[in-house]
Amino acid sequence: MTILGREAAEVDALVTDVYLESLLAGRSANAARPRSPREAVDAAVRIASARLSRDLPRFHPSFRFEERLAVRLAEVAAALRLPAAAGAEGVVLPLRRPGSEAFDALADPLADPAADEREPGLPRPLLIGGAMAASALSLAGAAWVAWRRIRTASPMARAVRAAHARRPA
Amino acid sequence: MKDAAPRIAHLDRDRPLVEAAIVDPARFDALYRRYLAPVYSYAYYELGDHHAAEDAAERTFLAALTHLGRFEERARPGDGEGASTFKVWLFRIARNVVANERRTNRRRPTTPLGAAALATDPLDVEQNVIRRDEAAAAWRSVGRLPDDRRRAVVLRFVDELSTAEIAGVLGRSEGAVRVLIHRALRAVAKDLAPNRPGRRP
Repeated sequence: MTILGREAAEVDALVTDVYLESLLAGRSANAARPRSPREAVDAAVRIASARLSRDLPRFHPSFRFEERLAVRLAEVAAALRLPAAAGAEGVVLPLRRPGSEAFDALADPLADPAADEREPGLPRPLLIGGAMAASALSLAGAAWVAWRRIRTASPMARAVRAAHARRPA
Repeated sequence: MKDAAPRIAHLDRDRPLVEAAIVDPARFDALYRRYLAPVYSYAYYELGDHHAAEDAAERTFLAALTHLGRFEERARPGDGEGASTFKVWLFRIARNVVANERRTNRRRPTTPLGAAALATDPLDVEQNVIRRDEAAAAWRSVGRLPDDRRRAVVLRFVDELSTAEIAGVLGRSEGAVRVLIHRALRAVAKDLAPNRPGRRP
């Protein structure tokens, strides 16, 4: 088909489209005949349009089916509403690394082979708060136990240590 | 003349109903009542069987309700009054459901003469016979069209979607949809031509 032929077909199709618009609008408004470019449309196309407009009915399912499906949809709607209501008091936020871009769960982790070589751009991990306090208490405890072992408080031990100290070398 | 991409309607007449249904899924019922008949009709023309059409309609609305949160209204200026992107979205779901059904069961649209007779006046017997024959002939003619042309014709004449909306549903440009329908009409005209003399009053 030539470019000119193709353009002619598109123009015909456009004219038919305008005619159908008025035909179907006329049907909706119960008009007796379409209002516009009737003469520009091929007679055979016009007759076929009128036949299809008149002879292709719109169907409706049975009332029983309509109500049964309405009940089913209501059940599904109720099920959809429950999780939303249960989670309404909280907000779920995505985990983000400080200073970095948002985590993309769908990104391919193997797409960039050099990624492992690069600096991650994250601060070094720190022991904070309770962990540091716990470590300090542990050290203090060990020192106190050692001191107590040296400085035993029993009278016998004190007498032994005093005698030992007075003993000439 | 050539459209770059399918245009999707801007002024969505269903926006209040959709927003209400997103907030409270129970209010999806209003959208369901509005679009049940068009979706069912589309499925019936595609599948040619009432039970299969009911199944397809059920799956379409269940999918729409479940995934309503994913629906996005596509705003574009200049689209027609009363247009609905929700309708386009819903018919896209219906198209996928029907296509899946046809793939599974290898269904082809049939010509249910009894259904065609529904459109006639039950009191005028002679006229009924003529109208039933004509309706059956039109139905057969549409059923012989290639799939894409038949879908476009059904969406245009039965469901009365605009060209822009059909383009959105079928994933084609508006120009392509116009050409599809024009060619379908020429084929139907050719098909029905021998039947016309003597049949029309």
